[in-house]
This record gives sequence, structure tokens and C-alpha cells, in this order.
Amino acid sequence: MTMKASENYFDIDDILASNERIPCRVELPIYRLGYLDSSHESEHLLPGTKIEFPYWLGRAVCSRRRHIVRVDLPKQYREGYREILSADATVVDLHKLGPYYYSFGTKLLHFEHVASADIAKSMVKTFQTRFRKIMDSSQNAYNEDTSKLTEKLDEAERSLFRSGQFGLHDFQRWETRKTEKLTTSNMVRNHQKRKRNVMDSNVD
Amino acid sequence: MDPAEVEFLAEKELITVVPKFSFDRIYLIGGDIGPFSAGLPIDVPLWLAVNLKQRQKCRIRPPEWMDREKLQGKKQEEMDSKFFIEMPNQHYMEITQLLLKYAPDDIPHADEMRTLIKDLWDLRMAKLRSSIDTFVRSDATHAKLNHLTLMELNTVRLFLTNSLDQLYVLRSNLSGKVQATQE
Repeated sequence: MTMKASENYFDIDDILASNERIPCRVELPIYRLGYLDSSHESEHLLPGTKIEFPYWLGRAVCSRRRHIVRVDLPKQYREGYREILSADATVVDLHKLGPYYYSFGTKLLHFEHVASADIAKSMVKTFQTRFRKIMDSSQNAYNEDTSKLTEKLDEAERSLFRSGQFGLHDFQRWETRKTEKLTTSNMVRNHQKRKRNVMDSNVD
Repeated sequence: MDPAEVEFLAEKELITVVPKFSFDRIYLIGGDIGPFSAGLPIDVPLWLAVNLKQRQKCRIRPPEWMDREKLQGKKQEEMDSKFFIEMPNQHYMEITQLLLKYAPDDIPHADEMRTLIKDLWDLRMAKLRSSIDTFVRSDATHAKLNHLTLMELNTVRLFLTNSLDQLYVLRSNLSGKVQATQE
């Protein structure tokens, strides 16, 4: 199995993104798996049933060679939502549209849907528009609660925000001359804590 | 890169001090320094200057560019120009920081210097941010920025490289190269 450069086998974010659900319609009867669809009592999944599969399963059962289900676009990538995003992407709550909006969207392109090209374009545009806000907020929020700022960001954007904050904090630490003070390394501190826990439990 | 590492690099800059003692030439890996004779100005690396100053063994002569008029001129220039202007020193931020910390009594108008340098820094960072934004919005594949200093680059490095990675992934979707990723 070949992997794209963007995919990472051990990357928890990538794994979670591939667990996002996509609406599918069953095209061939799937025997004895009726229990996957809890709204029906039947033993088999019959053609025409609508069901949501995680992306990783959808990818295996819908390809050029194997056409067991037909994959629909999740609604947050359909034209209506794309229009909202093109109107003003900065106010949209991408985290609500799917915590992994970009990486899941990238994965969806694999199905070669007719709208694939438009989705790809829309994602680039969305990222470009939202970029300024992420950059400014991550570089200016110092010593304050950032949960309000990151609330509407998708996971990839959040990690960008964190790296912006990292740069800012490092610089501020240097500017206030805190870097020259020697401090206990985190590892040592945690190690001592752990030791203390062990000692405490021994006493009991 | 850590800001402390950038500062380390800046400490190699030469700065003029007036020693209060006499001493022979000292031989160091980085080069020979001295001989020192009391009262005669001499160029030494910043780290040594700071060290001597901490032991009250010298007076530091502020670098030429650390001057009210010159910095105000630079600030005005920076405000008027669309692009980054050349800074008087590659490590202006670090040198100011160190000198103001350890030798505020040797620098005339120390507080004003601090404000001026900080203003310059803020101006340049704002400019840097807006140029990054323009770059990301445009579909350009490379950009050239002159006269940025190491410390300025260092604060945005991680953020910028990560965003460009992300943008690259999204852009490569556009080209329609859907690779066969299964079976």
C-alpha cells in the first residue's frame, strides 16, 4: 500500500480523520451484516439502504474495482457549505463542520466525486482566508485564555495556532530574561512526583 | 532555534569598551583580544564586554547606531517604506537587549532607546505578518524578503513552515493527482 506524503501511519490525527463518517448507499446486498444498520431489523444489508460508514471502511468497499456501496458527499463539503465558506470563511466554525475539515476533505478527494476539484479549490481558498486571523491571534495572545480563539479552528489550524504561540512565548521568555535562569527540567520534576507517588503507596 | 541561541550568535558582535585595567593580550579560540590598557578604547566581543561590565572593569561605548536621532530616522523610514529597510545591525534587538540589561548607565537615554527599538521591532513584525499573509493569499511559490534579521525570522519560523506545509498539502490536491492509495 503506497502512502501519500501527507499521511502518517502512526499519526493519531490522521487516524482520527480517517474515522470520520461518510454517508453511503448500499448497491450490492451485503449478507449477514444487517446489524450495522441499527434502524433495520433485517439480517442482510439490502441494496438501497442508506448507511454511514467511517472513511476507512468506505474506501475499502467503494473503489473502481469494487463497487459495493456508493459514496455521497458529507454535507459540510456540499455546494451549500462551500458557498458559505466562499462568502466569508473567517466566521465559520470549522471545528463544528468536522474537527478534521482539511485532512478529511483531502481524503474524500480519493473518491473522485464530480465536485472533487471544487472541494479542493474551496479548501485552499478557505485556508488562505482564515490564515490571517490565525496568525494574528496566535502571535498576539500572550498570557490569556486562548480557548475562545481556537474554538472555531479545525485541528490542523489549532496545531498552527500552537506553533505560533510557541514562537511568541519563546521570544517573550527571552525578552523578559527568563531563559537565563536555570530551572528544573520537566522530566526530573515529574520523575520526583512519580517517586513520591510510589513512596506514598508503599506506606499504605 | 531558541532565542537564547540567537543571542549567543549575537554575542560575537564587536563592541567598543573603555577598560579600567591593563592586561596583556589574551589568546582565545575565537581570536586574540587585547592588549588592554586602562583608558584606551578597544573592540571586544559583546560577551566579553558584558562580562567585564558585570565585574565593573570597563565602560561600554554604545554602538554608533544606538543614537536617538538615528533610530528615530530609521523608524520614520521603516514607517514610510513598503518594504523592510536595512537595520543598522543584524542583531540590533539582541544587542540592545543585552546592553540595556547590563549597562544601562553607559547608554544615554536608555529608556528612550528601549522604546525606540521596541517600536521598530513592532513595526517590522507587523510588516512581516502582513507580507506573510499576502504571500499565502497569492498563489506564488516563493517570496523574497530583504533585510530581515535572524531574531525576527526566528519568531515566525515554526508557524510559517507549518502553514506552508499545510498549504502544500491542500495545493497538491488541486493538481488532481489522486494517488492509488489502496489494495
